[in-house]
Amino acid sequence: MFTLQTWIVQALFIFLTTESIGELIVPCAHIHPESSVVQIGSNFTAVCVLKEKCMDDYHVTADDIFWKISRATVSRDQYTVINRTSSSVTFLNIPLINVLLTCNIRMFGQINRSVYGIRIISGLPPEKPENLSCIVNEEKKMMCQWDLGRETHLETNYTLKSEWATEKFEDCKAKRDTPTSCTVNYPPVYFVNIEVWVEAENALGKVASDHINFDPIDKVKFNPPHILSVNNSKELSSILKLTWSDSRFRSFITLKYDIQYRTKDASTWNQVPPEDTSSTRSSFTVQDLKPFTEYVFRIRCMKEDGKGFWSDWSEEASGITYEDRPSKAPSFWYKIEPSHAHGTRSVQLKWKTLPPFEANGKILDYEVTLTRWKSRLQNYTVQDTKLTVNLTNDRYVATLTARNTVGRSDASVLTIPAWDFQATHPVTDLKAFPKDNVLWVEWTAPSEPVNRYILEWCVLSDKSPCIPDWQQEDGTVHRTYLRGNLVESKCYLITVTPVYADGPGSPEHIKAYLKQAAPSKGPTVRTKKVGKNEAVLEWDQLPVDVQNGFIRNYTIFYRTVIGNETAVNVDSSHTEYTLSSLTSDTLYMVRMAAYTDEGGKDGPEFTFTTPKFAQGEIEAIVVPVCLAFLLTTLLGVLFCFNKRDLIKKHIWPNVPDPSKSHIAQWSPHTPPRHFNSKDQMYPDGNFTDVSVVEIEANDKKPFPEDLKSLDLFKKEKVNTEGHSSGIGGSSCMSSSRPSISSSDENESAQNTSSTVQYSTVVHSGYRHQVPSVQVFSRSESTQPLLDSEERPEDLQLVDNVDGSDGILPRQRYFKQNCSQHETSPDISHFERSQQVSSVNEEDFVRLKQQQISDHISQPYGSGKMKMFQEVPAVDAFGPGIEGQVERFETVGMEAVVDEGMPKSYLPQTVRRGGYMPQ
Amino acid sequence: MKVLAAGVVPLLLVLHWKQGAGNPLPITPVNATCATRHPCPSNLMNQIRNQLGQLNSSANSLFILYYTAQGEPFPNNLDKLCGPNVTDFPPFHANGTEKARLVELYRIIAYLGASLGNITRDQKVLNPYAHGLHSRLSATADVLRGLLSNVLCRLCSKHHVGHVDVTYGPDTSGKDVFQKKKLGCQLLGKYKQVIAVLAQAF
Repeated sequence: MFTLQTWIVQALFIFLTTESIGELIVPCAHIHPESSVVQIGSNFTAVCVLKEKCMDDYHVTADDIFWKISRATVSRDQYTVINRTSSSVTFLNIPLINVLLTCNIRMFGQINRSVYGIRIISGLPPEKPENLSCIVNEEKKMMCQWDLGRETHLETNYTLKSEWATEKFEDCKAKRDTPTSCTVNYPPVYFVNIEVWVEAENALGKVASDHINFDPIDKVKFNPPHILSVNNSKELSSILKLTWSDSRFRSFITLKYDIQYRTKDASTWNQVPPEDTSSTRSSFTVQDLKPFTEYVFRIRCMKEDGKGFWSDWSEEASGITYEDRPSKAPSFWYKIEPSHAHGTRSVQLKWKTLPPFEANGKILDYEVTLTRWKSRLQNYTVQDTKLTVNLTNDRYVATLTARNTVGRSDASVLTIPAWDFQATHPVTDLKAFPKDNVLWVEWTAPSEPVNRYILEWCVLSDKSPCIPDWQQEDGTVHRTYLRGNLVESKCYLITVTPVYADGPGSPEHIKAYLKQAAPSKGPTVRTKKVGKNEAVLEWDQLPVDVQNGFIRNYTIFYRTVIGNETAVNVDSSHTEYTLSSLTSDTLYMVRMAAYTDEGGKDGPEFTFTTPKFAQGEIEAIVVPVCLAFLLTTLLGVLFCFNKRDLIKKHIWPNVPDPSKSHIAQWSPHTPPRHFNSKDQMYPDGNFTDVSVVEIEANDKKPFPEDLKSLDLFKKEKVNTEGHSSGIGGSSCMSSSRPSISSSDENESAQNTSSTVQYSTVVHSGYRHQVPSVQVFSRSESTQPLLDSEERPEDLQLVDNVDGSDGILPRQRYFKQNCSQHETSPDISHFERSQQVSSVNEEDFVRLKQQQISDHISQPYGSGKMKMFQEVPAVDAFGPGIEGQVERFETVGMEAVVDEGMPKSYLPQTVRRGGYMPQ
Repeated sequence: MKVLAAGVVPLLLVLHWKQGAGNPLPITPVNATCATRHPCPSNLMNQIRNQLGQLNSSANSLFILYYTAQGEPFPNNLDKLCGPNVTDFPPFHANGTEKARLVELYRIIAYLGASLGNITRDQKVLNPYAHGLHSRLSATADVLRGLLSNVLCRLCSKHHVGHVDVTYGPDTSGKDVFQKKKLGCQLLGKYKQVIAVLAQAF
């Protein structure tokens, strides 16, 4: 431990001493070679030689030497101890490296020390530069360039050397960043051969390129010529003269030129034949140009022998050829517009402006001549491209010429047929198809000779009208493209009309798209009819504006909420489709897509639900059920009818008929005949009504003991009202008081009510005769009798001595009286009373009768007054009740007189407190 | 310019230092060693003709440019001030053999080259801002240098003449400004005249 610390201290001392003294300390060894650049792939050997002094100081020999490369110890297999002081290391097949090789010694105490180091760099010698070439830009110095060859990985210098036969020029050293080229430092001297080569040199070698010997004039790139002017000629509209200035070399060397030209709007250049410009010159006249057309020129030059380089193109210069007469007649067509004048037609003549290459100048105007038969009619000079004229129904020949400053075009002739002309001979096999971004039209010519064809087209739209554009083609053409600004996804209606010598032929039409697209909107599907297992879908054809192409087919997609989608293709000609095999009572979602050649578009989704039952299915179930129920009911009724006695015995027992009671035997004043059967009382059997009983009551002699009987009477009244439908007075102010009824129904009702049914008491006399006989009727009911019945003197009953003959007219009287109330204006007061009162009519009559009965029977008086108080509406009548009764009677009399009713009915005057004497 | 300085001026200095400067140098004997750095091209005579044509095409404009740049009285007194009165100008005989014509051409080009070098040097001092004149003088001197190389190459390769004695014009360094301008103008006038003859002769 102590020894280790001692060695560490010593090592630090040596290290610090060495570092601080620096160069004053002599190295302990040295390596040969001192520094080395090694070629990649070669072998390298380094030798480290220790100095004697160092060996003595540190007690080391060559055996203690070890080598390191970049801190990594080299394997001892590569070492060789040459002698006591020297050790070598050998590296085979050196790779690409740049490392530090150090010689180290291991001293006593296992202390290692680096005693010397060298840097080893590997690389490659330069390759011979290839493809050396030079260029001399006019008025600039010569520049040469070459290819380097492989990468050397070492610092390599490239030097361009040049010399004349008699002297040498300054070397041109390539810059680091541009080792492949160099520009010499002296101006070029032409017509003197110069020899040039490149030398490449690095630490591993030096190599020179091949020498090239040339005259710099053969490597020159002249400055581009400068175009001075481009002039036209009035004599020749097809030429332009180009003049330029070019290099100063033109004075002593021969140049050749390259001239190109094009029209202003063209993109490709035309070339002047090289043989025409193969000698030095300063101008050239270009021929065969189009009149009144702007041309653009450019020019370049080089040595006539082709040695050297073409100059850059000159700046472009343009010129316009002179005008010439229009080379072609304008396209000419017409349109007959509707005219209201009889015998004339409004014809719009229209023509196309000539394109510049046919106009050959600025068109000043157009001359139109109209000829009917063979006599010249009119001349028009128009600057527009249309002319509207009114023509007769005859045949016309129109001619059109265009004029510019030089002359007129040929005439375009158009025959406007008579109004009754029948167009024939259309083109056949008309086709239209897009190709190369234009819309081509192709047709088969008619058998008749055609002068020309007129093609018209317009965009079909639901929103805008068809505004046609047109063009003219020669009669020999049977295929052309539409020269308009056509747009994609629009439907064009194309019309081709052959034009014959005697007029136009029949037009043919076709639709086409320049480029189709998917519809911009899908069809909207809806249900036309939905059945249990099927649904009829219908839709409208897509508007042409959204079709964007020819609809080839539709696809219907439908699905349930949880089911898979099913697609059905439908032909484009259909507008409805029946979905079958659907599930009942199911929600279906359906949408529809329309497809063109370029794709499809879905429409909105539509939902519908199939019904649970098919149409008529419910009826098919319900009707039989109803019939069965009806049949069952009938059978039940028949059964009950057959067993009615038995049923009646159990649920509807016989009730004794009051008419057959023995009450008659209790009344000593009543003839026995009145207590016989109804048939005896009303032998004719027609008595269905009830007689009104006028009872004179004495309200001054109340009979409190009769209140009980009054209540019972009210009860009876209530019960009776339910069975008074057969009595006219029930609905027509007849009495609703208990009445005697001779009908079976009344009899039944009485039996059913289970109450004591008091019979009606006819209390008034007939024809002012005081009734002499009081009639009492009593039910055969087993119920105990009322007190009033126990005192027959309280009831003053009047027997109608005339029997049934007297009852019916009286009933009729009331009915008629009722109708009088309804129709006679004289009794409007009564009607008003009816309107004002909230009490119904029946109550009102009942009230009157109660008043009347109050006059007759005092015991009832107080009870009836109580009823008045309970009915406010009646109370509103107030003191008028008495008078009202009197008027009522009077009115009834008058009504009888007015209507001519039988005179056997006489008015009855009721006096308070008793009967009027008769 | 550097080429001029590196080629012509040192040549002149060397020649002046030599004893007997200003006298024609004798022609190298036929059997004398005549070596060039690389073989001469086969179209050497064409190049000489082109060079003479190149010089001839620009001689007049150079002359005009020169006297214009000098200012008055030169432009209006060309006959008096710029007449081709150059003493000791090497003769030329157009009807001689090619070798003789080439030797005479060599002497003329050497004379003109040295004189043009003197003029260029003087003009950079006298008219420091006449850059156009400077560049034209330098370009002409470069062409003369190339012509000299071609003639020498031709003499050496074809006629085995490795050395030709030449003469030079007077040194203008010690003359006044006007004399410098006048001598320059006279030389360019002579140059214009001679070069036309030479261009015709070859």
